[in-house]
Amino acid sequence: MLRFDAARPVTFCDGLSRRDFLHVGAISSLGLTLPTLMSQRAQGATPPSEVNCIMLFLVGGPSQIDTWDPKPSAPDEVRGPFKPIATNVPGMQISEIFPRMAKHADKFSLIRSVYHTATAVHDTGHQMMQTGRLFAGGIEYPHIGSALTYVKGQRGEVPGYVLLPRPIGRTGGNLPHGHSAGFLGKQYDPFILNADPSDKNFKVPDLLPPDYLGTIRAERRQRMREAVDGALAAFEKQAQAKQYDDNFNLAYRLMSSPKAREAFALDKEPEAMRDRYGRTRFGQSCLLARRLIERGVRFVTVNMFETVFDEITWDIHGSRPFTDITEMAKQVAPNFDKAYSTLLEDLKERGLLQTTIVTAMGEFGRTPKINPAGGRDHHPGVWTILMGGGPIKGGQVIGESDELGYSPKTRPTQPGEIAATIYKGLGLDPHKELPGPQGRPIPLADYAVQPIKELF
Amino acid sequence: MKYAPVHSLLLLVGCASLAQAQALKILPPQVTLARAGATQRLLAVLEDKGQVVADQSARATFSSADPKIARVEAGGILHAVADGETEIQATVDGKKATLKVKITGSRTEPNAIFRNHVIPILTRAGCNSGACHGALAGKGGLKLSLRGYDPTSDHFVLTRQNLGRRIDRLEPARSLFLLKPTMMVNHGGGQKLTVGSGDYQILADWIARGAPGPLAQDARVHRLEVFPTEARLKPKDEVQIVVRALYNDGTSEDVTRWAKFSSSEDLVATVSEDGQVKVAGHGEAAITVWYSNQVATNQIQSPLPNQLDARVFKDATRTNFIDDLVLQKLEALRIPPSPACSDSEFIRRAYLDAMGILPTPAEVEKFIADPARDKRSRLIDRILDRPEFIDYWAHKWADLLLVSTRKLPQPAVWSFHQHIRQSVADNVPWDRFARTLLTAQGSTLQNGAGNYFVLHRDVTELTEATAVTFLGMSITCARCHNHPLEKWTQDQYWQMANLFSRVGLKNGERSGEVMVQAQPEGEVPHPRRGVAMAPTPLDGKPLALESTQDRRAYFADWLTSPDNPYFARALVNRVWRNFLGRGIVEAEDDLRQTNPPTNGPLLDRLAQDFIDHKYDVKYLVRTVMNSATYQRSSLTTPQNASDDRFFSHYLIRRLTAEVLLDAYSQVTDVPTPFTQIQIGSTGGTAATSLYPPGTRALQLPDSLLVSPFLDAFGRPERAQTCSCERQQDSSVGQALHLNNGKTLNEKLRAKNARVAAWLTENLSDEEAIRRVYLLALCRAPTATELSRFKSLLAEAAQDKQATRREALEDLFWAVLTSKEFVFNR
Repeated sequence: MLRFDAARPVTFCDGLSRRDFLHVGAISSLGLTLPTLMSQRAQGATPPSEVNCIMLFLVGGPSQIDTWDPKPSAPDEVRGPFKPIATNVPGMQISEIFPRMAKHADKFSLIRSVYHTATAVHDTGHQMMQTGRLFAGGIEYPHIGSALTYVKGQRGEVPGYVLLPRPIGRTGGNLPHGHSAGFLGKQYDPFILNADPSDKNFKVPDLLPPDYLGTIRAERRQRMREAVDGALAAFEKQAQAKQYDDNFNLAYRLMSSPKAREAFALDKEPEAMRDRYGRTRFGQSCLLARRLIERGVRFVTVNMFETVFDEITWDIHGSRPFTDITEMAKQVAPNFDKAYSTLLEDLKERGLLQTTIVTAMGEFGRTPKINPAGGRDHHPGVWTILMGGGPIKGGQVIGESDELGYSPKTRPTQPGEIAATIYKGLGLDPHKELPGPQGRPIPLADYAVQPIKELF
Repeated sequence: MKYAPVHSLLLLVGCASLAQAQALKILPPQVTLARAGATQRLLAVLEDKGQVVADQSARATFSSADPKIARVEAGGILHAVADGETEIQATVDGKKATLKVKITGSRTEPNAIFRNHVIPILTRAGCNSGACHGALAGKGGLKLSLRGYDPTSDHFVLTRQNLGRRIDRLEPARSLFLLKPTMMVNHGGGQKLTVGSGDYQILADWIARGAPGPLAQDARVHRLEVFPTEARLKPKDEVQIVVRALYNDGTSEDVTRWAKFSSSEDLVATVSEDGQVKVAGHGEAAITVWYSNQVATNQIQSPLPNQLDARVFKDATRTNFIDDLVLQKLEALRIPPSPACSDSEFIRRAYLDAMGILPTPAEVEKFIADPARDKRSRLIDRILDRPEFIDYWAHKWADLLLVSTRKLPQPAVWSFHQHIRQSVADNVPWDRFARTLLTAQGSTLQNGAGNYFVLHRDVTELTEATAVTFLGMSITCARCHNHPLEKWTQDQYWQMANLFSRVGLKNGERSGEVMVQAQPEGEVPHPRRGVAMAPTPLDGKPLALESTQDRRAYFADWLTSPDNPYFARALVNRVWRNFLGRGIVEAEDDLRQTNPPTNGPLLDRLAQDFIDHKYDVKYLVRTVMNSATYQRSSLTTPQNASDDRFFSHYLIRRLTAEVLLDAYSQVTDVPTPFTQIQIGSTGGTAATSLYPPGTRALQLPDSLLVSPFLDAFGRPERAQTCSCERQQDSSVGQALHLNNGKTLNEKLRAKNARVAAWLTENLSDEEAIRRVYLLALCRAPTATELSRFKSLLAEAAQDKQATRREALEDLFWAVLTSKEFVFNR
């Protein structure tokens, strides 16, 4: 067969030819050639001095009492149906619905005194937990991953900040959820997967050419594009035109770089590994997060759910369209238990846990008193979040809630302190200033807010 | 080498003649010192044709005719000694300048007052900044108001709080207020003040006099004077800025050492904390000076090192006043203008900028073939009469006014959009458009304008949105404290807000209907003072609280008065930005004092011309489009390539989301279906059949139609009144979408796409290439392009796997994703 493209390889910035990449991808023999390709390009790996982060967002708001802050001696209407169990950290108990997590408690700490004072809708909590602040005065603050990418840039060809699987959608408040770059500008928005990694035919939308665009055609298109653009040299030099071209090149590198494509190629994971994480949207997203971090992505957010309506989530009001406690314990908790525990094990086995912060958090807690529908409602008064990995010490309990799990009893902790802790863990000065709207400097975390020092 | 002496001789002659034309002058030009111990920093500057070109203060010898009245230190610091008048002389290189000075009040006691001396010293030292004691929670137990916006509370905090421990009136030096910032005792903020310094002495004297608080009769700063007001310098030159506060009791005071300085362009000129400007590069920088809630700016020009013939500017094409004023600025900065754009560039540019569509091949060919000299201006006239012109501007104002089902029910969106569209179609003057909107009454379904009040139910939101919409300024900061970047105070904010406190809304009988009416009563109290302020437009006259006039009408009178310095400027700046790619003030809705225009006289003149022509938007558009400035090439010359703000060439810009999508539909002949809509109130999506096939993105009244393309390319959400909502940056996501996404690829593949007809016609490769170029780029391919494409198409023809249709689709794709297509140029 006559192959024009084979006779005319196009050279890329990394010194490898596009033909190599596309053929490798197309023939699916990536497993064989990959180590060679990887060794030719050291760029993109995480230097040992740098820390990355995976944020598991437990959309809906887990109930503190039924999860990681059990109250066995509270009255019946508060205690709930689950018993506490011991963990591998003496004295630390969690709910029996997380048996696997209990074996990894040395790898994470519990912060049991988180609270916020904004309106008790999901959206406000999403903003505060993902950016450290409540949006007000027309200012949208950047997600931690956007700010990190702004400060440090992306590594090699993979995006700096990736959001899996989809942004949080409808949760009732119709407010922004804080997953974007806000005032930093669109170029620091996350790369959003917009697909379900547990789908049988999972692939990243727009990352790969559609089926009808074969490799030869895709390559010819690029050469045709150059035929137009070569016409106006003076035009090329202008900054905006250059930015457009740079983005086109970045996109092209992303779609043709085996490394970037391979980072998203979940089907390259052994079946056994995919089973270990659980074949759920959340489980496979956690696995994908690990793959991405391993390949140089700085920050990955995994949203456990996209909405709280008509889906079994942490939002256990007890009646439709929401979830009841038993459903949560039967479906949501095991899903989380399995994926989270595997993520910690897997990172540890690969030597990545010491450079990867893993945090899991919801947007608020639940009312201690069980409601007439047998559920619990929104309660930002106190809840528990998990954090470990990287420089964050595991095996600790920071703060306590009161006897009923209603308010913080010791060390009340606000969302901003969590963000400041993550920034510090990532190696950033939490008070480093970003250029805000109208030139107003805005620190990563408010000046008055300090990281949780007990975690370092 | 042998030419060297001649050379230096020439240089000498040059310098001498240059120096002769320059006169020495002392600034400020008049000085009266009215306080015991008062000082004034003097500058000895060289002026050329009335413009400051050098600061010689450091080299000058200053002397006083009568040192018993006023003495002057080396470097030019003037000190009051005794009442009387005398003369100060400055000498440099044989040039002399004199200044009459008057000293009064030299026998009074030191009279530093809290408001005008103590707070400025704290502000300058950073004590009340957001990072220190000005933070919402204070620092170390001491909380001051941010930058001293609340002197009364600050005085209380400093003198009474903590059992008055902060002040020791008997032994001022033992006051914590002085011990902390001088680090005599430990201070988390470090050393901010030196014992015995001038500022220390002022604070100590103030404490010794009993630490008096702010009084109602305190003199207030009503204006700042900055010297020199403008300077024309070259890189490495330095000039000191002197700031004088003018008080409302007629006195003035040198406040240079307490003022805060910043430069708009550090690459052109930097300014030190003490006001020493150092020129760093070429161009123009504005130095902003803040003192006591007042702001002033001066301008530092550093012309480019271009050797230009005066004819470059004299012979440049001029069609109206815009060109005179732009060329005047370009000449001052020695930036040559680019030549005029070609006819094919012009027709594409004009169509896209004024109507958001591409010209058809027939229109392009007819225009290019037209021999008439005035064909461009006749084309502009035709554009102004096209229905697509209405679509484009209605869409623009709908962006501005946030027309969307995000917050409004569907029927209200139609009614609001229809109101706007009809106003554009009727070319309703901008003042009438604003008044109609701001005084709207009755059913929001009958009078769509009333929806403005439904969108902004909250009085602060209404106040702030109105300021951005019609004054092009954000006053949001002043809601909680005096505006840090503007002169607006919190009091002024709540005076203005009270103009909007009497808007009544109640649900009508029909679904989605709201009845808007002016209420006879209702006040919005100042949150700190707890009382309602007399309703007053910014810097305007108050309306009595007891007046029963519709306060909105009072506001509209002020807003649309020809004397309003903001209203016309805000609109002309928006229109200018639409056509020239950058506002004279950028961002287009950020007309604050600390963000000066790049060509002030041009903005002033455009605004005046707009007022003189009764706020006729079409007239304004016509004036801008006819200017030679608008019609310049986007290609730069080496001498003007660095200019991105003085309009020496047309600034390229990416087509906006809607225009680009419509252009793809137009070139491929495949319209975009808009069949899914996001549900604004609850989220989720639903099918909609409101938008028939062929509806263009620019014709959509709503911002919630589902379109991954429009989202990727930065369609504004219409959630917040801000030009920043629209994103014109390019992103990786956009590039991925163009490469692999459905929008463009499916238009190319559609069964009835333009390319299908060409296959039936059995078009040759060359003809196909020519047609795509004309359709998309409004020009013929160059010989190189033609031959490259022909060989690429020939290559494709050899590829057994590629059909001819696919090859032609790829040709379309390449042209439609090229920079030349995606950018207006």
